[in-house]
Amino acid sequence: MPKRSALRRIVAACVLFGAAAPPLVAVAAGDGLLEKRESLYNNIFIFGDGDNVAMTFGQNKRYYTESSMKLSDPGALTVEYTRYMTLGVAYPPKVERIMEIGLGGGRTVSYLSASLPDTGILAVELDKDVVDLARKHFRFKETARLRTVVSDGRSFLLRDNERWDVILIDAYRGPFVPFHLLTREFYTLVKSRLNPGGVVVQNIEPTTMLFDSATATLKSVFPSVDLYDGGGNVVAVGYDGPQLSQADLVARAAKAQERYKLRYDLRQMAGERRILSRPIGKVMTDDFAPVETLRAIEKNNEKWKEQTEAPR
Amino acid sequence: MQHNYLRGFLLLALALVLGFALMGFEMLGSRYLYPYFGGGINTWASLIATVLVALMLGYLFGGALVDRTMSPRLCGALLAFAGVYLFTIPLWVDPLFGWMLGSVGDGMAGIILAATILLLLPLTLMSVFTPFAVRLLLTSITVGGRLVGFVYGVSTIGNVLGTLVTTFLLVPSFGSRALTMVFAAVTIACGAVMILCDRFLRGKQP
Repeated sequence: MPKRSALRRIVAACVLFGAAAPPLVAVAAGDGLLEKRESLYNNIFIFGDGDNVAMTFGQNKRYYTESSMKLSDPGALTVEYTRYMTLGVAYPPKVERIMEIGLGGGRTVSYLSASLPDTGILAVELDKDVVDLARKHFRFKETARLRTVVSDGRSFLLRDNERWDVILIDAYRGPFVPFHLLTREFYTLVKSRLNPGGVVVQNIEPTTMLFDSATATLKSVFPSVDLYDGGGNVVAVGYDGPQLSQADLVARAAKAQERYKLRYDLRQMAGERRILSRPIGKVMTDDFAPVETLRAIEKNNEKWKEQTEAPR
Repeated sequence: MQHNYLRGFLLLALALVLGFALMGFEMLGSRYLYPYFGGGINTWASLIATVLVALMLGYLFGGALVDRTMSPRLCGALLAFAGVYLFTIPLWVDPLFGWMLGSVGDGMAGIILAATILLLLPLTLMSVFTPFAVRLLLTSITVGGRLVGFVYGVSTIGNVLGTLVTTFLLVPSFGSRALTMVFAAVTIACGAVMILCDRFLRGKQP
């Protein structure tokens, strides 16, 4: 019988080990877990504690917040950088059509749709379970002016020839952005889908070397790139043509603010603009985009400002 | 005897290198598919399935072929053809996938078709090598089991190295187009070795 007892010991060890390694949910969830869903692309956890609800993607025993909302005040943008994402509407001469890649809980597009009554918005989201959960937990409602499409963002842009005034990109899958949404070819495609005067707005995490390459790549396609410190994350705005003067941008922001009466004042956010003037990263292409390696090299949180200057 | 050791060494070295290149192509395939079909589990499933089908077809085809001909030169020619096909991938992949996305879409049919066009034919021809190596080395039925195990084992070590080295070392350091061409050139070189060493590799068959 020695063989069998050895086997039993192995089984017992496995069971013990399994019990010793706490399951993912128990680590940080406490009792606030409202729903857990394993989709085709993500492990999605919805947490709620009284007034707040958050959508997170679990990875490496950590939770990456994709979206959050205050139930008593669903119109608030609780994640600071998403307020700066809305600044994109200040730049173009007209904002009739907005596209967003990466829906999350749908807070940003819902806010814009409610504030810009004549604007059509299309959110392209890879994961249909994210759309489902946004409807279920984040009061996300599609309307004739606010539609969703389930597709990879780049694949959608390739197949769809329509042009947009603002393209918002917030396509994080947990801690990372897929490489094909960070290359020169991708930004060239995005540029070709913008109306004259249109802008691309992207949320970029500034604490690794990947930030340097992402902004340099953006700058290689868009002659002008403005950066905003969105409380941890950086929001980049890229556009064709020469850099707007600060007076011009503030005037545009004031006009848009006057027209849309936005809760988060565009003028104030425009005042915090930094201009990307000295990109130092290596431009990424479809051929060579070592995103995993770049992301592994950490850097100081504030260091990105060295690549920028204050606007005149 | 010396002759047989050398022959075995050469064939196993080829199995290792070809195993490396084969999985290298699978990993590189993802870099070509992502921009058009997205980077999800569905893209990987299509790639893995394509490679496994190629292995199956190559083993079947190669097995039938080597029983008929025993010709290392023929196997070398197939490897060289596979290498030439792979070498040209960077030239046509972007226009083709762009066109396919518009006509077939990015659903299951689109991704599987794309992975198939990219890799099925050349990887099938590459995996023809394994039954050739087994048959060429098989001098006595009494060691057949060990021999088959050894050839597959070495080839699989090549697979493992190809997967890991390509992913963690090569893709972060070089462009995927350049890597494709280098791997293709290596495949052509393996084919050339088999053609040039045809008589040596045949050995003295029982």
